[in-house]
This record gives sequence, structure tokens and C-alpha cells, in this order.
Amino acid sequence: MQERATLESPVAAPLVWPAERVIRPTKRRLRLRDFVANAPVTRVLTARDLKVKYKQSLFGPLWLVFQPLALLAGFLVAFQGLAGVDTGGLPYVVFALVGLSVWSFFQAAMTIGTASLISSANLVRYTPCPRLAFPLAAVIASLPAFGVTATGAVVATTVTGHITIKVLLLPLVLIWLVLLTLAVVAILSSLAVRYRDINSALPFLLQVGVFLAPIGYPLAEVSSTARALLGLNPLTGVMEGARWMVLSGYQPDIEPIVISLAATALLVVAGWRLFSRRETTMADEI
Amino acid sequence: MSATAHDAAPPIAIRAEGLRKRYQLGEHRSLQQTVASLLRRRATTVTFEALAGVDLTCHRGEAIGLVGINGSGKSTLLQILAGMIVPTGGEMRVWGRVLPLLAVGQGFHPELTGRENVTLFASSLGFPPKTVAERMDAVMEFAELESHIDTPTKRFSSGMISRLSFAVGIIFPADIYVFDEVLAVVDGEFQARCLEEIKGLHAAGRTVIFVSHNRNQVAEVCERVFWLEAGVVREHGPTADVLDQYEREHGRASAERPRARRRFRGPRPSRSSPR
Repeated sequence: MQERATLESPVAAPLVWPAERVIRPTKRRLRLRDFVANAPVTRVLTARDLKVKYKQSLFGPLWLVFQPLALLAGFLVAFQGLAGVDTGGLPYVVFALVGLSVWSFFQAAMTIGTASLISSANLVRYTPCPRLAFPLAAVIASLPAFGVTATGAVVATTVTGHITIKVLLLPLVLIWLVLLTLAVVAILSSLAVRYRDINSALPFLLQVGVFLAPIGYPLAEVSSTARALLGLNPLTGVMEGARWMVLSGYQPDIEPIVISLAATALLVVAGWRLFSRRETTMADEI
Repeated sequence: MSATAHDAAPPIAIRAEGLRKRYQLGEHRSLQQTVASLLRRRATTVTFEALAGVDLTCHRGEAIGLVGINGSGKSTLLQILAGMIVPTGGEMRVWGRVLPLLAVGQGFHPELTGRENVTLFASSLGFPPKTVAERMDAVMEFAELESHIDTPTKRFSSGMISRLSFAVGIIFPADIYVFDEVLAVVDGEFQARCLEEIKGLHAAGRTVIFVSHNRNQVAEVCERVFWLEAGVVREHGPTADVLDQYEREHGRASAERPRARRRFRGPRPSRSSPR
């Protein structure tokens, strides 16, 4: 009975968050500055993605080493043993590891990134959590994959005496790679909310990708037609750029680099536009 | 019905004007169907208005109840209020931070510990890390999970999970607290505690939006009730008046059977019942 009394006329408390929010029908509500405002959520989601990956796992982060090593072993047999590719005087392992650093990161980010929204369906549906934080966190959580393989590549290059001072520019390649990957992951993850086909296609696309990017073989070794086609893959340019930064005396193909830089810019703009558009209906559709 | 019961009304917390939300009926279209419909040029899709023009005003510090049969638009309204979905018409203005508890334990990742999940859930509701750290002890205490907080939530019972998400929905600082039928899933003793806490929030001058199919709970918490029907506000006013009218039409929603019975009600009965 006495509780009733408290219900009568409580004095309105001052606002914890004194701001007005206007909700209107809109096609887009994301702003570029939201990136900054969303940093804390992105960090928590990144930590979750990292933790979840290795919980109840015997080897834990050692998988970051096993995966590229297994691919490297496969390449050694297929490209060096069987096909006998010529890496222009560079040790094959050194050559392949640089490409693998790019690929390990891209593959890891695609695997968790494309499903990032769907696998967090309940957060998307029941919380106003910024949707962009999910693909962003997946990409950031994949950075260790790059770190581990790239460190291996740089160490191997240094040991065999093929390192150049340009390696200090490698972070630029990383920024390029991260932007490209983020754009692709944002596009695919937002489309996957509506079209689950993306999830079915991804594993096999990634399998094909191992061969359709010059990871384990140099561009110089393939026919000019094949080279032109491979050049259309934006990852080809990133790999050429990375090799140019790391390996002394490496002559990169300029064309794929130009194509890739243009494609990255295009994909970033398109990704932003598509994601900010799709973002408003995600809770309805997921 | 009466508009505002307050003479010197406190500032407005929520105002909705002609709020609409239209959904497409049936399954979302697959890639195949999309291509097919593009070829056929614009297939007609059946739509459904979950909200068909809702007008609602809520003052700061009020405790508002929402009643209505399932499918009347309550949850859609709350999802728009919390910022999950975007309306297809009308406008809503919200002053202050909204803390929505629209489902219990839903944002939790089974592999993460209780503490990690509280951090994740609170962050996804928009709370900065500092606030999360400050409130963690209070959350653990409220959920009575001090000894389990560092265990993965997949080892939690469903009761423990609901207690933990309730703790987040009640302990964190906000201006507008939203509870969407979440009391139905916890046991009696904890339910009573939550009700006390919700009344406490109201007594402290916070705005509370409370959805329940349990008349006693609505009556205990709310000063005013909005009755939603088919996506519009059918009636609103002082709790007892609106609940009486609602029950004249839909029968008494008892405490023993919170919602099972009325769930799959067919087309709504005629409005000829006396007001």
C-alpha cells in the first residue's frame, strides 16, 4: 500500500543523457563520425571475436601459425615441386610467405566478417548496437593473422638476405589491404543478412581464391591472358605491392597495383553507400 | 479519453506523431525471386502495417503501460523507440537515453563469461566502458551471480541468464527504461524484486515504459496506459480506466495465465461492447 504513494507524483529526474533524438523514416542514418562514437563497442566486439575463436581450443592462437604453414606446404608441393615455378632468384618460401600474409588476413576477415551480422542476430535485433561495428570488429580481429605471417615473411627475408629498406613502408600496404577487406566484408555481410546465398558461396570462393591470386606463384610465370585476368583481382595488386616493399630487387607489375588502388577506392565508397542503406533495415530482416 | 493528467506537466520524454511501420508479408525474397521479379518487372508484394499511425506523448518521470493483444504493434513501437528499426512514416522524438530490455539473455554469447557478456550487452546498448566497469559489481549483486560471473554463460541456467540481463536493464543509468514482456520468464521471487526495482526507478523520477500481459503488474507499475490495437492507439488514460475497458473486451488476463490463452486469437471481436 505504501508503495502506491511513491507512484503518485515523482519529480522528473534530470536527464542522464541530455539530448534529443529525432526518429524519422530515412534511407540512411549512418554518419562518418559514428566511427569514432562507436569505437568502444567495436573494441568489445573485437575482443569477443578474438576470444570466441580460441575458447576451448587446445592450440589456441597457434592456429595462426598452422594455417599459413599448411598452405605453404601445399604450395611447396604444387607450385615448386610439381609446376617448378621460377621466383626470379628468390627463395620460394620467402616469395610465398609475403603473398600468404596478405591472403591469411583476407581469408580470416572474410570467414568471420561475412557472417558477422548473422551470427550476432540477437544483438542486431534486440539492441541498437551500431551495425557497422560487426564487420569492423571482424576485420580488426583478423589483424593477428597478418601480423603472424608477415613477421614470418620479414624474418625469412632478412635471414636469407633479401630484405630492403622499403619494408618500413609495409604499414601503407596494410592500410590499403584493411580498407579493401573492410569494404568487401561490409558489402558481403550486409547482403548476407538478406541473401544467405553468400554464406554458401563463401567457402568455395575462398578455395578458388587461393589459385586466382598470385600467392604461391609469380605473375611472370603465367600467360599474358591469365595475367590480365589475375590483374583484375584487387588482391593481386596488394600482393605485388607487398612484395615490392619487402623483397629486394623484386620488379612488380604496375598495372594490377593501379587497378587495385582504383578498385579499393571504388569499393570503399560503394561499401559505405550500400552498408549505410542496408543498415536501416537489418533488424527487420535478420 | 483524457489527454494529459498533469497540470504542470514535466518536460516531454517521448512524443510520437503518426508513427507508421509497414512490413512486407511472407518470406524475405531470395536472390532467385529477386531476379525473377526484376524480369517480370515489379511483382506485387503484400504489405502489413504493424503501426498504422501511432500518436503518443509521455512525460519525463511517467510510468507508461502498453497493453494490447499480440501483434497489436507494442514491440514494433518499442523497437523504433530504442533505435533498432526505422519507421516508414511519421515521427518520433525522444529526449534522453533509452535503455531497452526487449528480450532476456538474447545478446549473450554462450562461450563468453557472465562478465564478458555483461560488457558486450551493455556496450551494444551504448554504454561507455567506464560506466560498464562502474556498474559491474552492482549488476553481479543484483543478479546474485558473484561466484559465477567468470564462468561461460553456456553453463548458466536459463534463470541465471535472465537475472543477468535483467540486472543490466535495471542497474545501468538511463532516462527511459523499457521492459517488453520480460517479467514473464523469471520466477516469482525474482519477479517481485524486479517489480520493486522498476517501481524504484519510477520513484526516482525515471521514465518507465512497461509492457505486460499481467494486469496486476501493469497496475502496480504504471500511472497511465496506452492500449494498442491493430497498430493504432485505441485508448489511453489512467491505468485502471484503460485496463477495465481493455478487459471488458478481452477478458481478464490473470496472473496465473500470463499470456498463453490469448496468444493466437483470431480476428478481433466487434467493437460493439459497451464502453
